[in-house]
Amino acid sequence: MPSDKGKALMKVELAKPFIKAAVDVLSMMAMITPKPGKPYVKKGKTAVGDVTGLVGITGDMSGTISITFTKSCAVTIVKNMLGDDVQDILQDVQDAVGEITNMISGQARAGLVEQGLTFSGSTPSVIMGDNHSISHMASTPIMAIPFSSEAGEFTIEFSFE
Amino acid sequence: MSSLTGFRDQSFLDKISILNEVSMGKDIADLDELLDLFKNPIGDTSVDYMVVTALNGVLSSDEKSVVDLLSSDNEKIRVLCIRLCGEFKFKTASPFLVSLAESTDDSDLLFEVIVSLSKIGGAESVGLFRSNITNDDDLVASMCIEVVGTFKDEDSLDALSAIIIRNNEDANYEVCDLTTWKAVEALTSIGSGASLSFIVENLHHRNPTVRRVVTDCLTDLGAPAVPYLQNVITPDAEKDDMILAANVLGFIGDKSGLEVLMDALDKKYSTDSSVNYAIYEAIGNIGTMQGVVSLIDGLEVDDELITLAVLTGLDRQVNHGVIKKMTEMISQGGSQAGKIIRAVVTSKALNIFAGLYNEGKIGRFMMNAVVASKDSEVRVAFREKLTEIGGEESTADIARLPEMEETGGKRALAVDDSRSMLALYRSILTSNGYEPSIAENGQEAYAFVEQGDEFDVVITDMNMPVMDGMELVSKLRLTDGFEEIPIIMVTTESETSQMELAKKTGVTDFITKPFTPNQLKDKIAEYVS
Repeated sequence: MPSDKGKALMKVELAKPFIKAAVDVLSMMAMITPKPGKPYVKKGKTAVGDVTGLVGITGDMSGTISITFTKSCAVTIVKNMLGDDVQDILQDVQDAVGEITNMISGQARAGLVEQGLTFSGSTPSVIMGDNHSISHMASTPIMAIPFSSEAGEFTIEFSFE
Repeated sequence: MSSLTGFRDQSFLDKISILNEVSMGKDIADLDELLDLFKNPIGDTSVDYMVVTALNGVLSSDEKSVVDLLSSDNEKIRVLCIRLCGEFKFKTASPFLVSLAESTDDSDLLFEVIVSLSKIGGAESVGLFRSNITNDDDLVASMCIEVVGTFKDEDSLDALSAIIIRNNEDANYEVCDLTTWKAVEALTSIGSGASLSFIVENLHHRNPTVRRVVTDCLTDLGAPAVPYLQNVITPDAEKDDMILAANVLGFIGDKSGLEVLMDALDKKYSTDSSVNYAIYEAIGNIGTMQGVVSLIDGLEVDDELITLAVLTGLDRQVNHGVIKKMTEMISQGGSQAGKIIRAVVTSKALNIFAGLYNEGKIGRFMMNAVVASKDSEVRVAFREKLTEIGGEESTADIARLPEMEETGGKRALAVDDSRSMLALYRSILTSNGYEPSIAENGQEAYAFVEQGDEFDVVITDMNMPVMDGMELVSKLRLTDGFEEIPIIMVTTESETSQMELAKKTGVTDFITKPFTPNQLKDKIAEYVS
């Protein structure tokens, strides 16, 4: 049965807690109000953007989750988080995006426990560079949710084996 | 008395061990205290986390309490219980959950309820899922699409088809919607005659990601998909549909598909070279003895591309009979014999080469073709094979292979998921003085670029797995040094609907399959001096 095979396991119910966590964390920490756009499916393994936080998930299922910001969005978020205390903008963006990714992953995994699913998350890595691309672990189609906010745009991508 | 009395005053370690005991004990007497701790958390993440686990444990054996708590005025408790009903399949919750779903306008809550009901199962909630396939919230809709697929709900067929059709309209085809992906999976999983016929019709969907999803789903379905693909392989079918259906039959690799393909050849359904190429390639992929017979017949066809496809297939299942038959054919001489020998070299059919190597004159002719090849990879491959064969003659032949010569310094990148097409590109490019790099999909191709390789021209197929030509082109155009380089896209005639999108993406020019080596050479020469 196809439903037993790899790609059919990318269930929408797994993605939902991460989307909710992203909205919660960003509105709490960075005081922005992200609005989810129309979800779509990508082929290929890559996310394109300027700053990406990437976290691997293992447990009842394994995969990767990434959150990719445009440069201006990442900078606005850092300024909102740190106020005027921004010292080295590159370093601070890297730290902040890593921290945000970690919080989103943690909160979402806590939500999944309530559904009887246990996962552990890797330490997030942060990739920076204009228009870089990153690789997801799985070779299955990737589910992408674009967000818009007053600070700019970002995209969350999911890829589960 | 509950062991949780006075819990908040305990030390951290005591809290942990008490909660551990409560989780294991699953005593309903602890429920009220736990609910209070859940409503008014301690504030320490690890303790609060354990409270949830303990609540899960206590409530898991008490369906009635959980169902009662669904009406709690505390939102957190309601959501927890909705999830518990799903996790432990509490059937008595279904009527309440269905009516909750029908009355709420909160899409997050609706999502929770639908997830829970999907796990409980049962016919009474199918109507709810069906009616939410078109929910404005795409996540709710996708969730419901998944569920009607799991339940094989044939009554959802029209609604699911409509999603895929909508995504094919002029204004909507550039992005593959999440709902479309889920609808293709659900229709495949429903697996009725009508749903599978519809899926096969969408092999030629205008969006490349949708096409890939359709191909993947049919390939995963396997043998049951063959009769529906067979319906596309008919004398009056569209050329592209036949090619795509033949590809999928090859991926599925089931013997029943072989009959369909062989029938198409025997009854000459198509005279089109690219259709027949796809059919021979698929036969090669299925790889049974019966297929070998068709492949051998294919050697008689005077078409360079088909000869390559046939030899690539035959090389995987070479045996004594194949070698004997090929020896007979080549011994008859004529231009076809020469073409076969050259194609063995171009397609690097090393097993066939090893089989024919000791067949007197044929072995010598083949060796001459290897020596004449300007493709350094061909020489390396045959050098290795000769070393493996061993003996005096092969040592002498290795000595005949010239060392690498410098090419003109021009470099080309060729991308195609068909091994035979890649072999053809290598051969055309090297004989025109290019140093070729080849890749089986956009992802592999882009890896060359990422490691700093530079090219004078890129030749790419449109439809490929993993990353298709369109995405490759858009990535290249965003890459330093690749903004202007000529990119030639190889299409089939009926992919014209895609050409406008490709042009917008940054393709420089197109060449239509099938083409002769000279046509490709001329096309490249238009852009590279």
